[in-house]
Amino acid sequence: MNGWTAAATVLLGCGLGTALWGVATGPLRRRVVAQNLSTALACPGLLLLSQAYGRPSYVDLGLVLALLGPVGTLVFARLLADELAEDPPSARGVTWAVAGLGAGAVIALCVATGPSRAMVKLLVIGALLISGNLLASRALSGGFGGAGRG
Amino acid sequence: MNRRTALLATAEVLAWWVGLALLWLVLISTVDTLERVVGAAAAGAGALAAAAARRAVTGR
Repeated sequence: MNGWTAAATVLLGCGLGTALWGVATGPLRRRVVAQNLSTALACPGLLLLSQAYGRPSYVDLGLVLALLGPVGTLVFARLLADELAEDPPSARGVTWAVAGLGAGAVIALCVATGPSRAMVKLLVIGALLISGNLLASRALSGGFGGAGRG
Repeated sequence: MNRRTALLATAEVLAWWVGLALLWLVLISTVDTLERVVGAAAAGAGALAAAAARRAVTGR
């Protein structure tokens, strides 16, 4: 048990646990936001576990999650567009807090890794994670309402 | 397609290829000759697809 394991446990236990509880209960506007944030919390958790166990292959799981999480949210945003238009979710504070958490985890891992190819990979994953999460969150709150062509 | 547009299209594919090949080199675990060859080929296919997709979206 080192600091990385502890950080990953706290992140997955408190963060992902809360997100899953949010997905399972409450109104639709809260569920979709929690669904979006659950992948944004699981990705830094996997990155921290990769450092904790010394298994670089876990980083690839984080990369896949950072790519596919926002894509999954966009599918929900499209399928539930009518319901979400009546009661649009707005979770600016939580979204930015989770984005900051992800950025903090990536920066800490970069410091631990040192300047190398692995650090560039971590930065790419971090950029994908944060930008994808913010885009998906904006799509959920109807930010791209005029962009669709039917 | 005249000379200028052909040159621009080639430059676009080349720019995509450079970016995608660099991304490949960053994401793999060990850099050796086989990885470089496969990466260059995959980046080539990706660059052609990306240029075609951008042309389709911008409608030109």
